[in-house]
Amino acid sequence: MLEMRGIEKSFGAVRANRGIDVSIPAGRIVGLLGENGSGKTTLMNVLFGMVRADAGTITFDGRPLVHHTPHDAIAAGIGMIHQHFMLVPAMTVAENVMLGWEDAGAWLRHDAVAQRIAETSTAYGLDLDPHAVVGALSLGAQQRVEIVKALLRGARLLVLDEPTSNLSPPEVARLLPVLRKLRAEGRSVVFISHKLQEVLDLCDEVIVLRDGAVAGACPVAGATRETLATMMVGRELPPPLARVETTPGREVLIVSDLRALDDAGVERLHGVSFSVRAGEVFALAGVDGNGQAELADVIGGLREAMHGSISIDGDDVTHATVTRRLRAGLAHVPADRATTGLVSAMTIAENLALRESDAPPFRRGPWLDLAATRALADERIAAYGVRAEGGDALVATLSGGNQQKVILARELGRRPALLLAAQPTRGLDPGATRFVIDQVLALRAEGAAVLYISTELEEVMAVADRIGVMFGGRLVGVVSRDDADLTTLGLMMAGAA
Amino acid sequence: MTATITRGLTGVGAALAIAALLVLSSGKNPLVAYEALAQGAFGSPDRIAVALNKVAPYLLTALGVALCFRARVINIGGEGQIALGGLGAAWVALTIPAAPPVVLVVLSALAGAVAGAMWAGLAALIRLTRGVHEVLVTLLLNFVGVLLVAEALHGDLGEPGAGFPQSPLLERGAWLPKLVKGTDLHVGIVIAIVAVFVVHRVLWHTPFGFRLRVRGASEKAAAYAGIDMHRSFMGVMLISGALAGLAGAIDVLGVHYRLIEGFSSGFGFTAVSIALIGGLSPLGVLPAALFFGFLETGALAMQRAVGVPSPLVSVIQGLTMVFVLAAIALGGARRRV
Ligand SMILES: Nc1ncnc2c1ncn2[C@@H]1O[C@H](COP(=O)(O)OP(=O)(O)OP(=O)(O)O)[C@@H](O)[C@H]1O
Ligand SMILES: [Mg+2]
Repeated sequence: MLEMRGIEKSFGAVRANRGIDVSIPAGRIVGLLGENGSGKTTLMNVLFGMVRADAGTITFDGRPLVHHTPHDAIAAGIGMIHQHFMLVPAMTVAENVMLGWEDAGAWLRHDAVAQRIAETSTAYGLDLDPHAVVGALSLGAQQRVEIVKALLRGARLLVLDEPTSNLSPPEVARLLPVLRKLRAEGRSVVFISHKLQEVLDLCDEVIVLRDGAVAGACPVAGATRETLATMMVGRELPPPLARVETTPGREVLIVSDLRALDDAGVERLHGVSFSVRAGEVFALAGVDGNGQAELADVIGGLREAMHGSISIDGDDVTHATVTRRLRAGLAHVPADRATTGLVSAMTIAENLALRESDAPPFRRGPWLDLAATRALADERIAAYGVRAEGGDALVATLSGGNQQKVILARELGRRPALLLAAQPTRGLDPGATRFVIDQVLALRAEGAAVLYISTELEEVMAVADRIGVMFGGRLVGVVSRDDADLTTLGLMMAGAA
Repeated sequence: MTATITRGLTGVGAALAIAALLVLSSGKNPLVAYEALAQGAFGSPDRIAVALNKVAPYLLTALGVALCFRARVINIGGEGQIALGGLGAAWVALTIPAAPPVVLVVLSALAGAVAGAMWAGLAALIRLTRGVHEVLVTLLLNFVGVLLVAEALHGDLGEPGAGFPQSPLLERGAWLPKLVKGTDLHVGIVIAIVAVFVVHRVLWHTPFGFRLRVRGASEKAAAYAGIDMHRSFMGVMLISGALAGLAGAIDVLGVHYRLIEGFSSGFGFTAVSIALIGGLSPLGVLPAALFFGFLETGALAMQRAVGVPSPLVSVIQGLTMVFVLAAIALGGARRRV
């Protein structure tokens, strides 16, 4: 169905794709794997006409695609769902579908389009209301809007770039059957993911990129997570750091009876209390949307607490500014990396200075110390394995996973007394995920307190000393690491225990 | 950098070409018209002096606008801030005419800056305490500012028996010194160019400038970075108001030597255009302001010599803006902030 031959693409000195050959047969789900920055998104952008390749040919359904635009790609039958959605939040589902779509007619036929959306939605089990405003939908539903958009435009090949990294497990569980249904109809899917288990469950075959070249391809039957990981990295992943035994010390973070509203003014946090001790990792598990995001925002100082109190190392910071919390020793990895954690139109160096531009080493006298900032950036880029040309590279030019590493480099690099990490491994490849877990454990060994919020149970089990589960804006249970088992946690997360 | 320059020159070239067609369609020879334009702008030291005197207030005001827009603070109150700056400068110059010359001119200019800053600060205060959007507040305060000048000129500050709303001639000691003897060129242009480099330095090399850029890029990131949104809003408005106020003072103390009703007319919006064409960068604002100043100075000569109406210049300015902004939009998806 699709043949890409000898695709080459460089950005300055970075060779993102160096002669990639792939072919995607009809009626197959093909997993595209590779470490952060290995060139997956670039390859798919070339296919979709968002990026012009330096060399190489593309044939889709027997016809060549040359110098094509995304518009041509759509017309040819290719649909793409990006890492960051391309929807207009203030518009309804139907309006978003009509946007830039010729079949919607010169005079928009609202009802006819809404009708077709409803039909498609029922046929594929997407559960979408054509008149809902997109901004009010969950991420999973927004993604299904993108799918409807692509299907109505007649996509026979659907590319999904990390579709599951922002979804909660139940949302993932409803996405996968949709993709299987597409396959059953003879359409093909390219599925980019760092979650190897998902890839094994869903895909028919995988293509692995490493450093901008194809490192291997194989059918999924017979592959294991270990073999896939080895193919991606080119060597075996080292075993995880051994957990050292720590005796939890003083209570660093004390949260008591915290209540807060969400952006829409609805109470999402109904009185949460817990504490985290020095040398301890307290993980909060739970399906997204059960108050974790609000909790993290309130502790980080991005959202007002309506009731209750927060203290860091004995310092009451309930209503303190972000800067005071920082001084009290708080590091915060926010869940929203694109617009909160980073300024993507600034350089890596500037993003490292983002929260402390007023203090050394970023400042000397009245001036920003650009040289020191750049030196620090080079050091962190090396230490955290960020794939970038240098500290002056704009964050917008980094791959998704590498952007996440910049945040981690800034927050973990401060050696904080308290780390608040919300979904810190989102979008990271298995090697980088391991790296984050190792770093968190190293902080713990140094005596820091860690509040680790994640929807990935496996990760939670790997780092946590104690695991709390949030459901419906409450902390419904706390178990210690030794007593935790996946079944009980799963039940608690579903609100059943 | 080279891309920016190319973009600017292409925009100007395209605008001039289209305007040439308009001249042609009105039955005049565009080459003759443009020659008259160039003569009027660069033809003699005097013409150049007039143009540079025009550039100075444009530059100062546009710098403030650029700084505000960078921080995503939409201050379009340049005109009112200029008016208040002129008023403040004239008031001080008329109140303490006996002060030693250097002291008088410096105090008057400073008074202009302070008055402009206070006018912008008032707008900021309304925005921050009452929640009215700054576009509305600054726009409306323009009218109030201009009326305040008129009010003063019809009252205490007016020249009795002048028949026109203007103040008496200021004491010589309050006049801006000339840069080149025998011409009208005053030191305003030097002050403005120094301001360009100071603002550039502030924007790119101080924590304050860094905070402005962050806040302009993403409000959420600014909150996460611990930036006090109210303080930075007030800060950038005060700076921008001071620059505009200084511009008004320079015009009063350097060109008219008195306060005249309507002296600030149109300056504020021209400054917005210059800031936008300059890509909201202090160094980019410099060539944009020069372009506008010389173009407008040449326009009158062109009208006199060839009979091409001088509003054609507004057409050229407008077209340049469209082309340059389009080029920025097309080429700047990954622009640095
Ligand atoms: N517009 C750009 N300008 C400069 N470099 C770029 C640009 N886009 C991508 N790159 C670089 O190309 C390389 C490949 O990036 P790409 O986004 O394709 O990686 P990826 O495999 O999708 O990674 P991830 O899993 O982290 O999303 C990276 O090193 C990235 O920094
Ligand atoms: Mg990617």
